[in-house]
Amino acid sequence: MREVLATADLEQLIALVRADGYRLIGPTVQDGAIVYDELTAARDLPIGWTDEQAPGRYRLRRRDDQAAFGYNVGPHSWKRHLYPPRETLVQLRRGGAGPRWEGARAEGPPLAFLGVRACELAAIAVQDKALIGGPFVDVRYQARRERCLIIAVQCTEAGALCFCDSMSAGPRVSGDADIVATELDGALALEARSERGAAIVERLPTRRGDAELDAAIDGALERCARSMGRTLAAADLPARLWSNLDHPRLAEVAERCLACGNCTLVCPTCFCADIKDTSDLTGDAAGRERVWDSCFTAGHSKIHGADIRPDTRGRYQQWISHKLSTWVAQFGSSGCVGCGRCIAWCPVGIDLTEEATILAAGDGELRALPAPRERPRGEGDGQVPTPVTVLEVTRETHDVVTLTLARPPGYTHGHGQFNMLSLPGVGDVPISISGSDAQTLEHTVRAVGAATTAITALAPGAQLGLRGPYGSSWPLDAAIGRPVVVIVGGLGLAPLRSALRELLARADEFGPLRLLYGARSPDDIVFDRELLGWIQSGRMRTHVTVDHGSRTWTGNIGVVTKLIRRKSMPRDAVYLLCGPEVMMRFALAQLEHLEVPAAQVYLSMERNMKCAVGLCGRCQYGPHFVCKDGPVFRYDQIADIFGRPGF
Amino acid sequence: MFKLASCDGCQLTLLDCEDELLAVADAVDIVHFPEASSRLAPDGPFDVVLVEGSVTTPDQLVELRHIRAQTRALVTIGACATAGGIQALRNFADHEAFIRAVYARPEYIQTLATSTPVAAHVPVEYELRGCPIDKRQLLEVISALLVGRTPTIADESVCMECKRRGAVCVVVTSDQACLGPVTHAGCGALCPAYARGCYGCFGPRERPNTAALADALARRGMDRGGLVRTFRLFTGGAPAFRKESERHE
Repeated sequence: MREVLATADLEQLIALVRADGYRLIGPTVQDGAIVYDELTAARDLPIGWTDEQAPGRYRLRRRDDQAAFGYNVGPHSWKRHLYPPRETLVQLRRGGAGPRWEGARAEGPPLAFLGVRACELAAIAVQDKALIGGPFVDVRYQARRERCLIIAVQCTEAGALCFCDSMSAGPRVSGDADIVATELDGALALEARSERGAAIVERLPTRRGDAELDAAIDGALERCARSMGRTLAAADLPARLWSNLDHPRLAEVAERCLACGNCTLVCPTCFCADIKDTSDLTGDAAGRERVWDSCFTAGHSKIHGADIRPDTRGRYQQWISHKLSTWVAQFGSSGCVGCGRCIAWCPVGIDLTEEATILAAGDGELRALPAPRERPRGEGDGQVPTPVTVLEVTRETHDVVTLTLARPPGYTHGHGQFNMLSLPGVGDVPISISGSDAQTLEHTVRAVGAATTAITALAPGAQLGLRGPYGSSWPLDAAIGRPVVVIVGGLGLAPLRSALRELLARADEFGPLRLLYGARSPDDIVFDRELLGWIQSGRMRTHVTVDHGSRTWTGNIGVVTKLIRRKSMPRDAVYLLCGPEVMMRFALAQLEHLEVPAAQVYLSMERNMKCAVGLCGRCQYGPHFVCKDGPVFRYDQIADIFGRPGF
Repeated sequence: MFKLASCDGCQLTLLDCEDELLAVADAVDIVHFPEASSRLAPDGPFDVVLVEGSVTTPDQLVELRHIRAQTRALVTIGACATAGGIQALRNFADHEAFIRAVYARPEYIQTLATSTPVAAHVPVEYELRGCPIDKRQLLEVISALLVGRTPTIADESVCMECKRRGAVCVVVTSDQACLGPVTHAGCGALCPAYARGCYGCFGPRERPNTAALADALARRGMDRGGLVRTFRLFTGGAPAFRKESERHE
């Protein structure tokens, strides 16, 4: 049975929660909107206010009653407090034996939220899956989330932009709140849903509700659900939308879209972030911070040397297809809870429900989304580097060096996995492991940006940060008993080098081995002594080609894909591909021509990895995260997006 | 620190770094800073040069090339140096008429027909936008150059900073004209945070959809003259804003 608190007694609820040591956040009126800020007294609440919303429009209006929760949702969401716009992840401490990285912790008293709507509770559950439901967790989010007291308030009036009913996210609260309240006729009906909640309700001056009250609440929620201004109920929406990414509507919406990013930052579930290195003027204090980002910024769509979403069409496609389609494949639920914020706060009033409905009604051939992956739930932060020492530096070419690092104790890795290497205040970059033994780890790095230039300039004895290993490995066991063909371009040989060593060491378990390697010029060939050894050993047929020859070069000239045409390529072989995407595209086309099944081809993808642990969203590749699902993919898993603009 | 055609406001931004000024002076040797010291050393070589102001006279062009030749990292600071500044309004008019109207002896005045950004004449390593520049961005560039990092100067919209800051959108709540969606971030959404629209002093962001914004402003009641003036202010000389303003003439 519910307990009934007069709205006039909200003061006591606020005082009680604050006296329990919580920092209480709730709705307040500021700058013409209802925003979430610290509450100190009931007078801070938007008593007697409501909101009117339309695409690109939000206005506050006076109500003709004194309801404290008589509005829907404003520009803020609770993610501002659970997942702040800017937060330090790692701090560097210098001194003693060298740099030490420390993971930052969540500071401050526990949070209490008053006025969480059903859709917002659903949004918090969505963010939980992304931020604390995977193999690595955002430990600061986790700390705040676990201590947070949630007092939900169900909506009994729907706004013109609400569609939580069609997303099964409201208006009835079904998520885990400590207290669920419903405001009716100048009183709040309170229902404790946890021990913490019960301990608060029992200290309030309430009267016992009755079955009539329960029926009134049910009726109000039912009427609210029926009065929603919008729906997003297209049957099989995630797959229908995913199947219509060639729809001309995407180009039309890109004409109107400002790509300003407002929709993503007001969205209560969007979690994509940039991660930046920081340092002060002395260089002594350095660290790394996470900042809210958006799939509409250029930074989010850049990988080194390329912009994978150079136009607004590609960025809008990423937003809508992630939110409504690939989110389901990534996390098992939609990324949309039907709050309508992205519609209200779009300066040009683009309506997600309208666009999604039009796209889903397209006549694209139905393409299934992959089923959500089962992932072990982990506990570690994963973003704190360990200091390691450079033992040896081997120059491979004018801009490529191999660093031999002291292997941290207990460190294990698979062939094809990568580490993040970092220099304080300079950067943190993903580098594949190019070799290892019991005492060492090798990384082969090309100087391209500030961080890699600094890393390639390190001398033996220098220290740098290492975290990892991350990502998937080359599936050597899947190749047992079959021929193996390795096709690599440029520095793509590095992520395969340790796999090649393993293949050679266990050569009798596999069929014939063949390596096709293309470099830009003879001077750009890496691991040349090892290559010569492979050629001379006769245990792996090794073919090297260069795009541009030199006076002394007597070998093959031409791109590596030319070699595929010249050499016999067994149909039953397992193919391992790594190199520039354009090279892999041509190689795949030739393998398809030779009727090699896609399930026998594996390739390593490169996207912009910042956190490397599946939290920042930068390396999304359609339904996949390159950092945790890749970088090595079986081709049939990504065949429908490989080479498609915007992915 | 060098200046071309400018008001010195961006140089003042460095002096406004009151809490950090001693640390800056510890970290770098400031050898030429006309706004702060009359002891000048205009001959390099320099590791870093900050250039304020636009190119409006033939002499400035010569000086600029002289600076560039002896500088490793040239950083332009402010709307004048990066977009031509407010004085680029002359680019839309007859500068000879201005000279005749303003000066008693126009024959003594040697000036160019246009006000242009530094990058139109010499290569530039980094640009800091704004009228004036933002102190945090200036400190970020100096700190990053000291340690060898690529400075974080995001080319995203002002809206990104506005939303991170938690400010309420003035377009959506009060139909104000705001250039935030097409303007380069860096100010921390200063004006929207004080409930007024962005007037674009940081110039165009990466891929600004000025046409869609102009359509939206027109729908909210702005006339053609208003659109021309909105896009033609402190950074009206920047190509994206110039073209949009010309579309409504």
